[in-house]
This record gives sequence, C-alpha cells and structure tokens, in this order.
Amino acid sequence: MIEAFRVGAVSRNGTLWDGLDLSVGDGEVCVVTGPPASGKTLLLRILRGDRRPDAGDVVAGGESLYRGNSGAARAFRAASGVVPESFPAVGGHAVRELFRLSSVAGAGISAKERKEREEELLSLMGLPGARDAGLSSLSVSERARVSLAVELFRGPQVLFADMLLHNAGGEWADLLGGLFRALAREGKTVLLAERTIPERWKTMGGGEGIVKGPFRLFRLAPKGEGP
Amino acid sequence: MMTGSSLRWIDWKLAPGAMLRETAGRFCLLFLLGSFLLSMLLSGGMNRFLSGEWTVTAILRLPVSPAEGQGIAGKAAGLPAVRSAAYKDPEASWKEFLAAYPGLSTLRGPGGNPLPGYVEIRMRPDRFTEADIRAVEAILQPVPQVERILSGGEVLPRLLRARGWVNAALWAGFALLCAMSFLIFLLQEKARSSFLAADFDFLRERGVPVRSILVSRASGALLTGLLLSLAATGTAAFLLFFLEPRLPLLGRVIGPAAEIQTLPVFLPVVLFLFAAALVSGAASLLGWRAAQSRPK
Repeated sequence: MIEAFRVGAVSRNGTLWDGLDLSVGDGEVCVVTGPPASGKTLLLRILRGDRRPDAGDVVAGGESLYRGNSGAARAFRAASGVVPESFPAVGGHAVRELFRLSSVAGAGISAKERKEREEELLSLMGLPGARDAGLSSLSVSERARVSLAVELFRGPQVLFADMLLHNAGGEWADLLGGLFRALAREGKTVLLAERTIPERWKTMGGGEGIVKGPFRLFRLAPKGEGP
Repeated sequence: MMTGSSLRWIDWKLAPGAMLRETAGRFCLLFLLGSFLLSMLLSGGMNRFLSGEWTVTAILRLPVSPAEGQGIAGKAAGLPAVRSAAYKDPEASWKEFLAAYPGLSTLRGPGGNPLPGYVEIRMRPDRFTEADIRAVEAILQPVPQVERILSGGEVLPRLLRARGWVNAALWAGFALLCAMSFLIFLLQEKARSSFLAADFDFLRERGVPVRSILVSRASGALLTGLLLSLAATGTAAFLLFFLEPRLPLLGRVIGPAAEIQTLPVFLPVVLFLFAAALVSGAASLLGWRAAQSRPK
C-alpha cells in the first residue's frame, strides 16, 4: 500500500499543492488526472520515492520513503516499474538492448528466458518482431508501449506510468485497461497519471473520481469485479 | 536485487563497440609503457651501454708472463663490481695497436715487441659508478705486476654526471607517459560515463544503488586493467626474447631478456601491473565523478 500524508510540492512558480492525502492499495488500479503543469509527473516521482516532497511524507508497505532508512526506499523502487512521459532513447539503443538493461536491473533473468519474454510482451503490445528496431525509429505510441513492455518484463509489484494512455493513443485504451485490471487481480498496483481518463474507463468503476487538490483520483475495479 | 558481476561488465553490455576500441587503445598504451619499463629496468638507462663501451685498463709491466697476466685478470674478475676481465698478451696489444695506427709498424725494432700486455676490465652495469671504479683501481694498483691503470681520468666524473642526467630524463619520460596514459584513461571513462548516463539513470530509477554501479564498474575496470597490463607487458617481454637473438644491438643496449626473471626486474614489473590496475579503477571512479559533475 502506498500512502501520501499531507504531501506538498513547490515549483518555481509557487506552491503546486499542499496537504494532499492519498492512498493506493495493493491490487488497485488508480488514475490521477489533472490539467497540464499541475504536477502529475512530480506527484508520481514523490510517490515512487524519487523526489522528496516539500511537505508531508509517503509511506509504502509500512516504511517511510523519505524519513526511514534509504534501503527501504531503494527496495521499493527496485520492486517498481516506471513508464516515463517522454521516453528517452537511452543511449540510442535498439529495443532488445532496453530489455537487456531492464534485465540488469532485475536480477536472475536468463538470456533464453529474456528472449522469450521479450517476444511475448512485444506481441502483447502489438509490436511483434520489434526487438531489433531502433528506439529512435519508433512512433510516440510505439515507444510508450515498448516502455511498458520493458517494465512489465521485470514483473514489478507496483507500476507507475506517466501519460501512458495519452502517448499510446485511444485505440490502445481498452487493451491497456484490461491488462492493468489483470495485473491488479494478481495483487499488483498500477498508478497512472493522465490529463483525462478514457470515457469507457469511467464505466470500469472509475466513475467521476474523487477530487484531490488539483487532481482527480479514479479507482478502477479489478478485472471481473467491474461492470 | 541484481548481481555484482552483471554490473561489473555493464559497460561491455551497453557499449561493446566503444569498449572494444578503448581496450585496444589501452593495450597499445600499456604495451608502450611495459616496453619502456622493461627496457629501463634491463638497461638501467644508459648504464648497460656505457658499461659495455667503457673499460678500465690495467697495463702490466713488460716482463709479466702470460700466466701472471691471466692470474691478475682472474683476480679482477672476482671483484663484485666487475662483469668481466680479460688478459691481452703483448702480441695481442701489438695487433690492436697496428690496427689503430697502421703506419707505425716500424716501431717494432730488433728488440722485439715494445708493448706490454694488459688486462681489460668491464664493470657491471649496476656498479658502473665512480666509487666502484676507484675501488677496482685501489685493489689493482698495489699489485707489483701492474704498471698503471687507465680509467678515464677526469673525463669519467663528467661522463657519469651526464649519464645521471640522461637516466633521470628517461625516467621522467616514463613518468610523463604514465601521467598521459592516466589522463587518457580518465577522459575515456568520463566520455563513456556521459554517454551511458541515461542508462545509469534508468537503473538508478529502478532501485539499483548508485554506489553499486560505481563500485562494480570500478572493480571491472581494475580487473580489466590488470589483465590488459599483463597481456601488454607479456607481449613486450615476448618480443624482447624473440628479437634479442636477431638484433644483437638490442642485447648490448637493453640487455639480455633472460634477466626479466631476476628479482630486481621482475618485482618492479609486478608492481607496474598492479599500479596499472589501480590506475584503471581510479580512472573509472574519477571519470564517473567528472561526468556527474557536468551541468546537465
């Protein structure tokens, strides 16, 4: 479980938000929506233990990410996956090299297993045979999906994704919704930051969401429990 | 969590082409350094060449018999600072004299050969010092059969001083080459750390501790440095063994390759190998630090 207590953040232009309380349970899919420059990316970084909030604290699995021992925060990050908003073409690599890098971060993945899982995940993301493609040759949607596949490759317990739905494109919303709810059924937590939530997702239990400072928080029901 | 070994060779996994080029360049540099060091250790700079060219000559009195001459040469050869001592009888002296001054054969009159025999003494390269030469002189001078000793007179101190300067300059050249190599290693590491910064950020964001990346990469660089310096110095030693019988000048100026196995040469070479490994590891750490301190 990830809990944010009275979290505040300040940017160069002043206070972004303050006193924000938020909790995401294990096996939940949550979407945080907000207008541009409202600090969605910053919120995800704070919740991941990657950027100390200007006020408040974040607790994950009962351990403070900022006031406890640094090993707990590191272990939490190691068990997390992150799909960034703008995916850097890391070192100008090909897709397969990104998987290799991901396998370095997640120990114990053999070369054979890696290849099988790469193919499987890329096919799932509608990118069969993209292993050898250069990252710079991919579209924004393809990069976003590759980035998601790379994170799923390590089987993270918590997945943070910034503008993934937006970047992947509307036609992928249903597939991704189904995928995230399936992950939630396995006890994994998915936290997305988006400008808006797809209309169909509102019927998956998201409803109109709860207002949290400048954001709206939608909780999707795990697959099989929603409408 | 990830294993140390996969991080140790992470640069090879992420940038194999760049690593291969850098490794080839480092091998060349270490080969140069290893050859330089071996040459300096074996030759002692100018020591071996000078001690081969410079002789101390003990001129014997005219009635000295060959047996006595051989005995004096044997006595000189037994001195610790002496590499070799050879007795030349009066006939050999005369032949050498004629070879040097062909027109003076008339000097040999009815009285026979006017030249005495002599003992030619060569010093050991590491004992080619004024004190050792004077010590040899001091031991041979009182021998009744020795008329006088020629050892260079006033030229010798000047020559030894010049040799000291040349040796110092050669060692300074070696130190400069070492410093340049370190600088090149450092720049390579810095450039590679900058190039792979996004990859390392990727790992850091996924819970891989920066310290682990840093330490593992440095240990990988250290190990690579040790193996590379071993290979490069080994190649230099092999070439010396291979070329020595083919190029006699090499043996005269640098010395016999077999001496590599002696402690005074072997020990510094081993120290050099470990120093090269440490320098590689330090360059990795400092290169990372330099890359991190650059404004993003």
